[in-house]
Amino acid sequence: MNAVLDQTHMPTLRTALRDFYDDYGTCLDDWNLEGWVDFFTDDCHYRVISHENKQANLPLGLIYCMNKNMLLDRVTAIRETTMYEPRMLRHFISGVHIKSVEGDVIKAQANFMVTEALSDQEPTVNLVGQYQDVIIRTQEGFKLQYRDCVYDNYRIRNSLIIPV
Amino acid sequence: MTDTLSWIAVGTPAEISPDTGTLRVVVEGEAVCLYKLEDGSIHATQDRCSHGNASLAEGYIEDGLIECPLHQGCFDIRTGEAVTAPCKAPIKVYPIKIENDTIYVSGEPA
Amino acid sequence: MSCTHENKPDVIEVPITINRRWPEEGYTRIPAWVYTDPAIYKKEMDVFFAGDTWNYVGLECEVPEVGSYKRQWIGDRPVIMVRNEEGDINVIENRCAHKGAQICWQNTGKVKDFTCPYHQWNYDLDGNLQGIPFRRGALGKGGMPKDFDVKKFGINRLRTVNRGGSIWATFSDTAPDFETYCGEEVLAEIDHMLPGKKLRLLGYSRQLIPSNWKMYLENLKDPYHATLLHSFYITFGLWRADSKSECIPTGGGAHSVMVSHNEGKKKTEATAEMERFRDDLQILDAETVTPRAEFNRGRVGGAWVFPAAQFGIQANSLKTRHVIPRGPDSHELVFTYYGYEDDDEDMTRLRLKHANLLGPAGFVSMDDSEMLKQVQTGISGYPESVSVVEMGGRDTEPADYMVSEVLIRAFYQYYREAMEL
Repeated sequence: MNAVLDQTHMPTLRTALRDFYDDYGTCLDDWNLEGWVDFFTDDCHYRVISHENKQANLPLGLIYCMNKNMLLDRVTAIRETTMYEPRMLRHFISGVHIKSVEGDVIKAQANFMVTEALSDQEPTVNLVGQYQDVIIRTQEGFKLQYRDCVYDNYRIRNSLIIPV
Repeated sequence: MTDTLSWIAVGTPAEISPDTGTLRVVVEGEAVCLYKLEDGSIHATQDRCSHGNASLAEGYIEDGLIECPLHQGCFDIRTGEAVTAPCKAPIKVYPIKIENDTIYVSGEPA
Repeated sequence: MSCTHENKPDVIEVPITINRRWPEEGYTRIPAWVYTDPAIYKKEMDVFFAGDTWNYVGLECEVPEVGSYKRQWIGDRPVIMVRNEEGDINVIENRCAHKGAQICWQNTGKVKDFTCPYHQWNYDLDGNLQGIPFRRGALGKGGMPKDFDVKKFGINRLRTVNRGGSIWATFSDTAPDFETYCGEEVLAEIDHMLPGKKLRLLGYSRQLIPSNWKMYLENLKDPYHATLLHSFYITFGLWRADSKSECIPTGGGAHSVMVSHNEGKKKTEATAEMERFRDDLQILDAETVTPRAEFNRGRVGGAWVFPAAQFGIQANSLKTRHVIPRGPDSHELVFTYYGYEDDDEDMTRLRLKHANLLGPAGFVSMDDSEMLKQVQTGISGYPESVSVVEMGGRDTEPADYMVSEVLIRAFYQYYREAMEL
């Protein structure tokens, strides 16, 4: 459960955000896709987009959810219809940085790295990039209203099965 | 009429190289190239080529044109106009006057 | 127009000898070595990508201004697509005529001309060599020989064609004209998607798939697997095994046109057979699987334009697919998504939403890349093994149903002849 914080004390806010980011990463590492949806507001934007596209102002995302229903549909699709090789994914999130705070609206960013270990291969660095977020402080704790996962990779390593 | 341009002495016509017909000087921090053409006239333009990082003073004069040593693009020495590719943007031309065997270049381009 | 510079070296062509024999059953069999043998791969790069073929390079909207360029590959040959001063789009080799360095080091950019950073050899946007530093020497010494003719040492420019905003190029002076190369059916698909309207670029999707490039080609010539592997299709009513459809091999088997007509979700004998169909699953955001009427309603599919391009429509998503081989066991798959300049905001949103169906995280395509990796891994352990493609029969005639491997058979019929196997 995320704590609601004293909005004037930046180091405390940053610590709380770090916990929020880590909780998000752990949730996906555990393949708790249903829990992943709870990190978002209803009117959310979630997009996995290349640095190439973002830098050129091209809107195309590999995963592009324009509301919470689309997040839920993606979870359904992964659970019920997608065929994929089992794998372990692990998030390493660091460099949490607050860009602005206006009331309950926080703009923040962090670096992410996801390693992937397939059942017959050693772990490799699978995806690297930066979360660019708008986070809302609510009664239930922090919620993502906007998340762009801007990845540095030139190419995705084969497939992107679960969200980043 | 009062002469409102500021004139800076940069050298003598004899100092312009008889081999290349050029001399590179610095006028108020700007590199300027002086030319002595076949008809004896003296001219001045910016020394840096408008296309790349090259000194026109190291170039080659032919028919009133200066050929940049980097990519062989040419400018008209009198007008500064870019005449052959890859040069497109013109170079600055500086007014000059000669008094008492000294070349003066105006601080402001024409 | 053709443009190669006079300095094309006299290459002594050493023919690549391949001591392999195709299984005697013919094109109903695919020997695993076509996916693993480096000599086969090398020959394919020459025969298919540098031969009498037209290769997809990009879309006009990717290079909007004079000097705009995009880095690309045709087979394994690096090229540059660039808009010149006259507004035409050139495709030139991404290789300095001096020592062979790549001229463009970025995906896209904008330049006035091309300068190789190594020795500053300078080229115009058509690839003509404009200038060489110290051509006259320095301090009166050195310089290029007096008879050095810059006209002979430009960057090779390929023959190009602009069809409705799509740019194609060939290395060959003997390739037939583009219309003849494509044929009527393929040309119709391209023209359908690119009717001459101004295009708007929406973005790229790139993935590196650990399988031979031909496996992707086969995957897109294989409607048989569509509803069996991608159960998303039938679960949410996008495509059914018994829908009205057509499989048409063209260009002697190299190209193909595949079309299916959507008829909505219905539980029938065909769907009951599929183990993974789930009647109880509903999609919450209905728009994700509901296209706004744009062209022919409910028509999915497109054309494979040999060697490495696919043109197809998925709901409101318009895109080209391009395959770049990266060695015998790997290939890059690039989607270029676009819309039209006159799309309203709603249409653009739909185009972006429907892109969730495709690419490396696509609802109906994630499974493909997963599957291709498995096939490459499986056959690599058994390079003398043989695949069998007899679904729908043993012929190479067009079919008016979808559960068929006819397009793959027709492809290998073409392949064997072109590769002399």
